Amino acid sequence: MDNRDISRESGTVGKDIIRNIAESAETYTNPDGKKYPVINLKAVTSISQAQRIAARDVEIAALKQGITPWHYLRNIGTIGMDGQIKLLRSTVAVVGAGGLGGTITELLARQGIGHIIIIDNDRFAEQNLNRQLLSTEKNLGDYKATVAAKRVKDINSAVTVTTFLKKLTEKNAHRLLNGANVVADGLDNLPSRFAVEKACRDLGIPYVYGTIAGFIGQLMTIFPGDTGLSCIYGRSDSLPEKGIEVKIGNPSATPAMIAAWQVQEIVKIITGIGKPLRNHLLILDAMEGTADKIKLSG
Amino acid sequence: MASIAVKFYSLWRQYLGVDNATVQADGLDEALDQVEERFGPHLREQLRGEGVQVDGKIQDYSLILLNGTSLRNLKQTSLKEGDVLQIFPPATGG
Repeated sequence: MDNRDISRESGTVGKDIIRNIAESAETYTNPDGKKYPVINLKAVTSISQAQRIAARDVEIAALKQGITPWHYLRNIGTIGMDGQIKLLRSTVAVVGAGGLGGTITELLARQGIGHIIIIDNDRFAEQNLNRQLLSTEKNLGDYKATVAAKRVKDINSAVTVTTFLKKLTEKNAHRLLNGANVVADGLDNLPSRFAVEKACRDLGIPYVYGTIAGFIGQLMTIFPGDTGLSCIYGRSDSLPEKGIEVKIGNPSATPAMIAAWQVQEIVKIITGIGKPLRNHLLILDAMEGTADKIKLSG
Repeated sequence: MASIAVKFYSLWRQYLGVDNATVQADGLDEALDQVEERFGPHLREQLRGEGVQVDGKIQDYSLILLNGTSLRNLKQTSLKEGDVLQIFPPATGG
């Protein structure tokens, strides 16, 4: 099932909308005494429905006027209003909605990524419950991508979602990822990761790789010109499909540890703030309490 | 003989209880043979203790980089002073 639900951002919003936003603004006083104009969810929704424009467009218009939607108030100190506008205008594709992908999707919605594409053909099973954030005893048997889309809407109704209940392959990767500004890795096998990396290269999209095994995870950001996965794994024609995690498993907190860092990478890429983790492999070892950064070379 | 640094990461570091070592070698095969001789049996024993059975030498079931690139990509087999071998297990979970 393809469920395209892509909001069009209006290039300019009408004067009525700008006036509505300004009239709805209230004042928030920070603990340091500084005052900020803010707008609440109810007002955003009301303007969106009355003016028949996407809630995301209302939020962008508010931010452009220096008025912060309450949802993003704690984001602004770090990424600024311009950064939040960039996030709201962006599209991120999450490939896989399990351990990594479920947490990534949750955090992207909270961060305020404007459009999220979720790609997964799998359904929740009992063995997912230990670590896959979006799985519950009640939704066993449900499609992971469908559950993730509903979760996004529950967290942030301004975010639009596209779901593909498909397994990403070399053949369909370009079509599924087309239009994304960044692709996030929530996969569980190497061949699919190489397919994603190749498609991202072809499409000119940065790819945030992540993987886990036991108490350990690793990640890096791969821009289209970077050497990427072959630095670690070598050529894609001689790879094992699965790694050591098949034998030692994945405990509850490891996916969250890596997924959180992947989301930080995505935010940095889109906002231009900070330095993405390019051409370095970061290995986080929660058992030993170490973080190693290996410089990669092509 | 060139002095080659060997660095273990991730689960291999945990299981071996060692994060780095040095081998003296001028060629890649020679260096890997020394790594296998010094660490392979112990690593496999530790893995067996975890219920994980692996076959072959350490280079057969590990990811190994030379100065940050996979050995699978390299045509060179000679080593020089200061080269670094980085060794860790494949992880593909998500």
